[in-house]
Amino acid sequence: MRDLSQRALDAASAAGASYADCRVINRTVQRITVKNGVVASVELFEDEGVGIRVIAGGAWGFAGVDDLSAESVEETARHAVRIAKASSRVNRTPVHLAPAPALVGEYRTPFGRDPFEVSLDNKVDLLMRTDEAMSHLPQIRVRECSLEFVREQRHFASSEGAALDQTIIESGGGLDATATSDDEVQTRSFPNSFGRHQVCSGWEAIEAFDLPGNAGRIAEEAVALLTAAQCPAGRMTVILDATQAALQVHESCGHPTELDRVLGHEAAYAGTSFLTPDLLGTFRYGSEHVTMTADSTRAPGLGTFGWDDEGVAAQRSVLVDQGIFTGYLSSRETAAALGQVSNGTMRADGWARLPIIRMTNINLEPGTSSLEEMIATTEHGVYLETNRSWSIDDRRLNFQFGTQNGWEIVDGKRTRLVRNPLYSGQTPEFWGSCDAVAGPAEWHMFGVVNCGKGQPPQSMHVGHGAAPCRFRNVRVEPAG
Amino acid sequence: MPLPQCSRGTGGLSADELLALGDGAIAALAHGEAEVIIADTRSELTRFAGNEIHQSVAERSRHIRVRLIDGGRTGVGEVRGHDDRAIALAFAAAEDSRRVTSTSDVSPLPAPTPGDRDDPVAFAEATAAATPQERAELVSIITEAAAAHRVNAYGALSATTTTTAIITSAGLRRSATSTQASLVSVARGDDGGGYASRHSADIDALDVAGLAAEVVDTCERNQGATAVDPGDYEVVLSPYAVTDLLEHLAWVGFSALAVQEHRSFMRIGEQLMSGSITIRDDARTPDVFPFPFDDEGVSTQPVTLIDRGVCRAVVYDTPTALQDGVTSTGHSLPQPNTWGPLPRHVAMDAGDTPWHEMIGSVSRGLYITRFWYVRDVHPLRTVITGMTREGTFLIENGSITRPVKDLRFTQSIIEALAGVVQVSRERRLELGEGESGVLSPWLHIGRFSFTS
Repeated sequence: MRDLSQRALDAASAAGASYADCRVINRTVQRITVKNGVVASVELFEDEGVGIRVIAGGAWGFAGVDDLSAESVEETARHAVRIAKASSRVNRTPVHLAPAPALVGEYRTPFGRDPFEVSLDNKVDLLMRTDEAMSHLPQIRVRECSLEFVREQRHFASSEGAALDQTIIESGGGLDATATSDDEVQTRSFPNSFGRHQVCSGWEAIEAFDLPGNAGRIAEEAVALLTAAQCPAGRMTVILDATQAALQVHESCGHPTELDRVLGHEAAYAGTSFLTPDLLGTFRYGSEHVTMTADSTRAPGLGTFGWDDEGVAAQRSVLVDQGIFTGYLSSRETAAALGQVSNGTMRADGWARLPIIRMTNINLEPGTSSLEEMIATTEHGVYLETNRSWSIDDRRLNFQFGTQNGWEIVDGKRTRLVRNPLYSGQTPEFWGSCDAVAGPAEWHMFGVVNCGKGQPPQSMHVGHGAAPCRFRNVRVEPAG
Repeated sequence: MPLPQCSRGTGGLSADELLALGDGAIAALAHGEAEVIIADTRSELTRFAGNEIHQSVAERSRHIRVRLIDGGRTGVGEVRGHDDRAIALAFAAAEDSRRVTSTSDVSPLPAPTPGDRDDPVAFAEATAAATPQERAELVSIITEAAAAHRVNAYGALSATTTTTAIITSAGLRRSATSTQASLVSVARGDDGGGYASRHSADIDALDVAGLAAEVVDTCERNQGATAVDPGDYEVVLSPYAVTDLLEHLAWVGFSALAVQEHRSFMRIGEQLMSGSITIRDDARTPDVFPFPFDDEGVSTQPVTLIDRGVCRAVVYDTPTALQDGVTSTGHSLPQPNTWGPLPRHVAMDAGDTPWHEMIGSVSRGLYITRFWYVRDVHPLRTVITGMTREGTFLIENGSITRPVKDLRFTQSIIEALAGVVQVSRERRLELGEGESGVLSPWLHIGRFSFTS
């Protein structure tokens, strides 16, 4: 890999690049899906290629190719330079990068048992037992469970002298049970919705999920939702389970703190942000219970690595400190615009995509309460579990989320199951109404595996540590 | 040295060469059945922000997908790579996965059908040959127009060429080379923005000047928006917004699998929408990136999904067709999959009202340029939520009077389409969030629910 990357860097330099970096990526993905008692698919995906990023004439250029012959890689480097020079004819402002040390090293995400060394037979067996555990209820029309494993080997080299090798291992799994009646469809998922829960970890994570042991309960919950009462409407207290809190963090803190959005780089697609630089250090984003961090050192989150995709070391930074907005996710280019240095959040969806600012592990730090205490001290409200729908405006202020499950709380007790709950609000007001976050014992790391951003589109795996948390005076209503 | 050239511009092999590559692999098959899908893609994109190009990228890749069927078991292997070993790797991966799958009613490989034709295909040499310099020059038309009006332009111009070949041991051989050029832009002033897009197989056919004028005009009219109360409004939706409604209908209901699993709103023969609404999927129409076959190599048939408001049909792949005892309509995604078939060339029939006359018939309502972050809230009832974005205007007494702040809507699509008052004569091709082309008119809808 090092010889290949050196050829790319040399070719870019010879063609006129003032800066170049090169990522050689080898990615293996294994996906197994069981649906309604049948192994619906077993897929093995191998992907290898090189992405070369250059600055020439003061503008960026990027080209990627999956033909790793020396001739192809050198020509791809020259094509990146041609692209940059074409852009430089339109541009007035040359790219300026904040300084960063040229690092050399190796890194591997921690894991116990390599999931690729576990036999396919064992994996299929686990899913078949999971499916079987959901099959006892006739109302369950669709049973689906899956496993996914990722191994990504990344080599990064830059014209500044960086040379970094890292291996990232991910393990994920989950189940969905869909119950139907003449006029209703309800799905329950475990451990998280949208197919699976995924972490940077080994096979031990899958064993800890205990999919077969939870499948029967989840199926029963889906059936119960068919006839549950509609969620009550009105302003009330909302308690989010940790999975929904994680997605709330993702949409309302992770995205608006991306500095490229703030600077307009994503204005045509993902949008901008309400967290403009004049608010840094003074704006009250949430209550004193709300502290949020970006921490790419915090395994097993899916945003864990040794260095980001422009060679900046993994690190922890505080985005919201006891309610006050204090920091962004940044890159070398965007940090320079604010007179700062990068905090290492440039990530690319494989070799074929340009690194852009992405979430790492964006965490709601644990508080001192507990779910039990929050429910016991709630007069009237709902406890909401597992995301079903999500939507937020392009500045990340106006949101509406739906969850699969709701439990009505009356006089400090969890009472009846309610279906189709929606809650909505404005980001600062919502986090400002947070009066409790559960402590470390209920804090867990979750993964989002479908975070979309960029043109051409990039899908990123990001992590979120979160615990159950409570919000006052929130608008709640039923969907449908 | 320029990239290696082929006849149709992917920088990879020609369609015939890809077919030959697949033929060789199939010929080497010792036992069982096999399907080989090979796609060579060359994709380039120039992105701009603040009237400057900030990202410009190129990608060249080959994607090989092998499906092996033997002994009642199916396995899939996928490899992205130009390496000579790529096909062998994909076969080996497919065999590894086939070995562990359970024996089941395997969906058979479709046989070739007499009369299959590998056309029409959306293709233009100009798109395949577009250079970074040419893209930069097209982008500068927009950035210069924006700068002249003291606003900033943002957006992306992409040009993609894909050669696809499908070869199976059942004797099926299909191939096509297609192109797509897409230009989207947002213009932003001090206090508001506008949006416009154009899409075509032919980059030279993109009306860049028209887009520039539209996006700047919408931006300038959308400065200093003030709030209106949420609630039910009469609306005129632009084709950009209508595309979101049609795409979500396709996702949640136009698939035979959704019907078979009781997840779809479609009740065949029942009138659910206004008599002015007809929705089709037609992969042969030149208006919606025509492409002749699906991911099983089956010729894609035109399907009328909604006929004057009545649920008429859904789309099929081979597994769902077997289940219902019918033939596939040629709407398969790569098999096997758990998502079911999908219409990818959706169009709503045009009406007879010039779109600008729709506004004149609204006493008080909203004009919506586009929606954003639309998500399914209750798929069975087609309830979606989302925001308006970059161009929401109040209509009073038949005229647009002022821009209004963006609103969140939560609305059943079929209820909205049941309340359609007028369908425009004009239509626009837009890409949905799923990147499929959708041909949409403007719609005048009697009631649309905004919640915050």
